[in-house]
Amino acid sequence: MFSERVAPTAQGLLGPPSAEPPTFPRVPVLGYSDCSGPFRPGERSFGRQYAHVYAVRLAGMRPTLERRARGRWGNDAVLRKLSELQVGEKCCVVGTLFKAMQLQPSILQEISEEHNLVPQPPLPKYIQPSDELILEDELQRIKLEGAIDVQRLVTGTIVAVYGSEQDDGRFLVEDHCFADLPPPLPWNGPTSDRFVLLTSGLGLGSGSGEALLSTQLLVDVVTGQLGAEGEQSCAAHISRVILAGNLLSQNTQSRDTINKAKYLTKKTQAASVEAVKMLDEILLQLCTSVPVDVMPGEFDPTNYTLPQQPLHRCMLPLASPYATLHLVTNPYQANLDGVRFLGTSGQNVSDIFKYSSMDDYLEILEWTLLAGHISPTAPDTLGCYPFYKSDPFILTECPHVYFCGNAPRFQSKLLQGAEGQRVLLVTVPDFSTTQTACLVNLRDLTCQPITFSGFGAEDEDGDMEVGH
Amino acid sequence: MADELYLENIDEFVTDQNRVVTYKWLSYTLGVHVNQAKQMLYDYVERKRKENSGAQLHVTYLVAGNLLQNGHVCHKVAVVREDKLEAMKSKLSTIASVHVYSIQKALLKDSSPLYNTDYDIVKTNLHNCSKFSAIHCDAAVPRMPPDIPRAQTSLQGSSQRENDTGAPSAPAVNGHGPLAAKHPSQQHKGIMGMFAAKAASKPQDTNKETKAEASGVSTASSKPPTKNNIINNFFGKAAMNKLKVNPVPEQPKEEKEVVKPSVAVAEPESSPNPVVEKPGKRTESARIQQKDRKSRTKHVDRSDNEEERDPENAKRKRKRIKQLQSDSSDEEDVPPPPTPEEEKAPSPPPVPALKTELEPATMEVSAGGRKRKRKRVLKSKMFIDEEEGCMVTEKVYESESCTDSEEEFPKPKPPAAHKQPVLPMKKEPKEERKTLKKGAAPANRANKQVSIMGFFHKK
Repeated sequence: MFSERVAPTAQGLLGPPSAEPPTFPRVPVLGYSDCSGPFRPGERSFGRQYAHVYAVRLAGMRPTLERRARGRWGNDAVLRKLSELQVGEKCCVVGTLFKAMQLQPSILQEISEEHNLVPQPPLPKYIQPSDELILEDELQRIKLEGAIDVQRLVTGTIVAVYGSEQDDGRFLVEDHCFADLPPPLPWNGPTSDRFVLLTSGLGLGSGSGEALLSTQLLVDVVTGQLGAEGEQSCAAHISRVILAGNLLSQNTQSRDTINKAKYLTKKTQAASVEAVKMLDEILLQLCTSVPVDVMPGEFDPTNYTLPQQPLHRCMLPLASPYATLHLVTNPYQANLDGVRFLGTSGQNVSDIFKYSSMDDYLEILEWTLLAGHISPTAPDTLGCYPFYKSDPFILTECPHVYFCGNAPRFQSKLLQGAEGQRVLLVTVPDFSTTQTACLVNLRDLTCQPITFSGFGAEDEDGDMEVGH
Repeated sequence: MADELYLENIDEFVTDQNRVVTYKWLSYTLGVHVNQAKQMLYDYVERKRKENSGAQLHVTYLVAGNLLQNGHVCHKVAVVREDKLEAMKSKLSTIASVHVYSIQKALLKDSSPLYNTDYDIVKTNLHNCSKFSAIHCDAAVPRMPPDIPRAQTSLQGSSQRENDTGAPSAPAVNGHGPLAAKHPSQQHKGIMGMFAAKAASKPQDTNKETKAEASGVSTASSKPPTKNNIINNFFGKAAMNKLKVNPVPEQPKEEKEVVKPSVAVAEPESSPNPVVEKPGKRTESARIQQKDRKSRTKHVDRSDNEEERDPENAKRKRKRIKQLQSDSSDEEDVPPPPTPEEEKAPSPPPVPALKTELEPATMEVSAGGRKRKRKRVLKSKMFIDEEEGCMVTEKVYESESCTDSEEEFPKPKPPAAHKQPVLPMKKEPKEERKTLKKGAAPANRANKQVSIMGFFHKK
């Protein structure tokens, strides 16, 4: 899709210099508006308890769930609160799920001296067959059993269950439903080919030069230096680049200053300083040619809790004077050329991965969309700001492109909803390991991966995924 | 023929200089469009091979195209060596572009020299990195300085702000020239004013001003070279080496324990040194102090009830005496005594004096709070750390009741002047003030007992 029609001019540069090489103008931005307002709390105070987050989440999603419940189990389905339950009566309850997991890291257990526990090493998954699901609403909680997949679900999801209370005090679930896809947005997409390049996990500062050439090739393709004329003219249709987090590598996170003696670390500078300088240079090259949106990720120098605030422009002195550089929050929501984008740097999906039996990032991404909430596990296992007025992670409108960064591999799927929603789900792979970025075509909501590679001593043959 | 010049150039680069000539490097060096550079390289290769088939030329190509992979069509962009070119082309279902990436004499084992060449040439041309590119973006223009949103708070002076924003808007490689230039002038003005009047209010004004000035590390870093000479004048050769090291590594560190004494500031009363030097030192020390202060804690340095000005001393002395009579605690007594003592020897005193001078700035705030008596006070202790070769200042909490020094302060108040010199002597080893000399100062200051004590117990 990117370059099929340019094949004729592919070999055009294998010849003597021509007189006037063409220069292609970058497609102008048709329309851009940043809708990430809810993700900037503004004045922040951490004096509140996290219970308020769950309260506003339930209050915010209850109407949607009640509507879905009525639609699914009939208009005459009885909706009850937990405090009004009667034994044996079939009814429908809306509440928040809580999964009691034995392996879930608990800071209280770790520091408790009575238990004499060694801190648990981080596991890839914390699920166990003995996990239990509990439904909580504003006042009470009740254990769930029955037709509900305990392994798959995670804490913090708002769900409506249909069933009855048993004599032993548990709720026998016959059916359950989630908020499902939010209402669709009108489509104002472009009529001609326009691309948005999605990439994440540049991983600068990692100390390994493998991905550096690939990063440079990426920048060169986007800025129009690489490729024959046809490819360059196609690249001129890339109207935006979104860097979805983890611009710095995990290696820059070493906290030597905490572990080592002061005299050893006195004159050393943090690894992230060099990495940010490299990032600045790369961003400068990109910004002189294309609008760039930079989202922070797990290893980037910004706050840890979601929603992560944009990187500060003082760290990027070379690139920040350019109006084409946009430093944005994580999660990020914006209207690009009439298409609504919503995405995160992947912390939400990887956190659900740890606490659920779902293995596929694309499946998890789709599930969060169907559950109506970007990150249900926050604040339980994922750091989050203590919201109390409203939960900004609730999905109120269905985006056209929904992505998550730092996935292990590239996947994409076009989801069609019952109310006419069309969502392109994209898991953007980690560039430092896969050397792959994604090109989304805004005209028809298709996505194509683009891989870069150099050549190395061990050299090719085969594994294209890893690059060379 | 002008057209053939490029051939000679490339020949020279590849053969004589043994460079890795990438298309990007050639484009920047000859100032031509990237596509022309690619074509030039290809032309050169063709001709050279036609002339001399045994020519030692290794070429790498860029191949891009569609590839079926994992069930979806993936666009692949790869840099390949010449020998692998055909293999790669056959793997791709559609070829989007092929062109020469680089030419070099030696066979490359991996692509890192290509990356390095490109990186270097881009780095030297950062400000116009899209000049020869095939895509031009109209929206990419750097903003003018005033348009750049001023995210900084009002702590900074406005002139400061303009410098800060002016720096990035200038060509990207611009350093902190304007920034540094502005700072000294502002600070000098403040410092000259400080020394001119010698009034008690001066230090506070200056301190506020320095506080208001950017605690920019960048400016600080531009200072050390010039300051070192000035600093050296104050200290003896022994201390000079130690101190020289300090300003430089200090600057980048914002939150470590800052070595104040690296900048020696002599009090107006005590030092006859040229005024010019003082502004410099005071600036830096003030700034360091401010930085340090800012970076540490904002809570009131009640312990820093120290002042360097005699008028203030007098004022406080009077106050203190009254308070003594009224049986108030000794906390306030601490500040006045320390001060005069610090003015003793030229070399050590400047160091602590610096602290005292600047501390009153914060003390201004708490000047009215002398009512607070029985609390733990945060004091700054300064000592020379021999093993590291630097002066270290630590803020240490001392509670009134347990530290001898503070209890002793009120005692000397009554005219027990003789005991004064003895007490400070004892305190020295305790406080590890190895380099502090007393000289004849204590004797002279017999009438100013309070201040002598303060010299040793302040900080």
